[in-house]
Amino acid sequence: MLETVVQAVINGLLIGGIYALVSIGVTLIFGVVKIVNFAQGEFVMIGMYISFFLANQFGIDPLLSLFVSMPVLFVIGVLVQHFLIRRVLGPNDMPQIFLTFALSLLLLNLALMLFSANYRTVHTSYSDEAFHIGGLYIPVAKLIAFVVAMALSGALWVFLHTTDLGKAMRAAAQKPDVAILMGINPNRVFCVAFGTALALAGAAGSLLMPFYSAYPFVGQVFVLMAFVAVVMGTLGNVMGALVASLMMGVAESLGIQFVGADSGLIVVFAMLLLTLAFKPNGLGGGRVR
Amino acid sequence: MAGVNKWKLLSLAALAAILIVLPQVVTSSFAIDIFIRILLFSFIGVAWNLMGGYAKQLSLGHAAYFGLGAYTSTIMQVDFGISPWIGMVAGGIVAMLASLPIGWLCFRLRGPYFTIATIATAQALMLIFLKFRDLAWGAEGTTIPNLGSSPLMMQFEGKAAYYYVVLGLLALGLAITYRIEQSWMGYYLVAIGEDEDAAEAIGVNAPRVKRDIYMISAFLTALAGTFYVQYIYFIDPATAFDFKISIEAALVSIVGGIGTLWGPVIGTVLLETTSALLQSWLGSTTGGIQLTVYALILMAIILWRPTGLMGMLTDAYRRYIRRKPARA
Repeated sequence: MLETVVQAVINGLLIGGIYALVSIGVTLIFGVVKIVNFAQGEFVMIGMYISFFLANQFGIDPLLSLFVSMPVLFVIGVLVQHFLIRRVLGPNDMPQIFLTFALSLLLLNLALMLFSANYRTVHTSYSDEAFHIGGLYIPVAKLIAFVVAMALSGALWVFLHTTDLGKAMRAAAQKPDVAILMGINPNRVFCVAFGTALALAGAAGSLLMPFYSAYPFVGQVFVLMAFVAVVMGTLGNVMGALVASLMMGVAESLGIQFVGADSGLIVVFAMLLLTLAFKPNGLGGGRVR
Repeated sequence: MAGVNKWKLLSLAALAAILIVLPQVVTSSFAIDIFIRILLFSFIGVAWNLMGGYAKQLSLGHAAYFGLGAYTSTIMQVDFGISPWIGMVAGGIVAMLASLPIGWLCFRLRGPYFTIATIATAQALMLIFLKFRDLAWGAEGTTIPNLGSSPLMMQFEGKAAYYYVVLGLLALGLAITYRIEQSWMGYYLVAIGEDEDAAEAIGVNAPRVKRDIYMISAFLTALAGTFYVQYIYFIDPATAFDFKISIEAALVSIVGGIGTLWGPVIGTVLLETTSALLQSWLGSTTGGIQLTVYALILMAIILWRPTGLMGMLTDAYRRYIRRKPARA
């Protein structure tokens, strides 16, 4: 019994690392640019298809394609911010919500037209490998994904706290007006924030590829998790999103183990609704918006 | 001023006459099917627009109430033999009651996170209907017994009768919207939509107004749900709680003109006509093309014409009025 619980917790933590990459992106964009990117999940999907095609056409390992998917998505992020998001910034959030929502709808259905609804998988030498420790089972691909995800999250933290650009980003998040007065160019900071968030989504896609199938709707799974994690971890809070994502992964995994295979989402929704009912400002407290 | 009102009434009467005669003139069942879709989604859009358009509470979870309406009337009909006409009203009441706890939770969040919470509640309801088979047939759903021509059970021969039912629903939705637009409630809603904090500061009881309009919006959306399952004779969670219904409700209003009486109707006419044309050109084989086009239209509207087609029409009308005396 205890072993089953520990195994479920480990599975949850491993997938929670991927959720963390997606939700850190959502919360970074929300914190800095002050919009919610409904299309974040679709960028995970794009990351997955990039890795799939590199593996399929050139035999490049999905983990190496990280070095392609992250820069490509960074550039896409900068372009999206500069040409689309910038035009709808302001106090009215209706265009912001529906612009990113339309982007999500567009990317998803373009993928459906171009790649069909088929599931695509990449088989690597380590896809079926696993460590056996005691009675526990730790798949290598998921472990690598988790470690890289944590390393990237750590790198982002260091970037935000030590570099000038990172500090400018946090300044723009906390007091945009004052940041502008201090000579920070908001559009440049927003572009970097959006690009970084999308690069993280791309990384999540590449890391998923050795053990997860790519299909047009795949992003929806991750974005829903990310939204719940971002609400739980207090909007705009990077550490909060990270911790909440790991918790969500564990909760989902325990739900699958003890309630039923298709109950993962129900557990997630229950967590969201409970959070809203009792801790609407997130588990750590803090302000709504 | 009186002249304007007379013209408005006349054009409204003309429109009503055209809509009533339409299914007698165009008898192709394919065309009537498209008309029914246009009227149905206009009606859902009108229901969404009350809350999403006037008060700017942008819900993407109206499928929850569509589904509740559909399931309430179907359960009453299949299990207890009660007429869907009664079931329709009962479904509306169920949806209204459900909107209270859902609203209580979702209204704790503002802006985009309100939107996400509404998506989550609609998905959660779908999962409940999928998972609990004792509640209502689980994932397989059920067909609605075909009684032939039985107007008392909301079953008709030929599609024209369904057309008139949904035309009636749309008229009801527009009448309610018009009444609300003219009342204090309408001003409260617009004030909340502009700036909720400022509205509260001048004495608008925002939580109460939002709760009330959410109830009305949920009630109307549920009526559409009942009508839809009666029309297609089938119900399952994926149809009744389809996320596409939530999307289309919001989309037609935004494309047509958010927070305007006729916006959702104009938006639906554009989107559904586009979709019907695409289908006849490309066939239904190309998955995703319809929503790709919808997404492009939506992006274009948001970037260039945030007031929607109604805004374009109003601008064109104003330019015409201004130019007219110069010509004369």
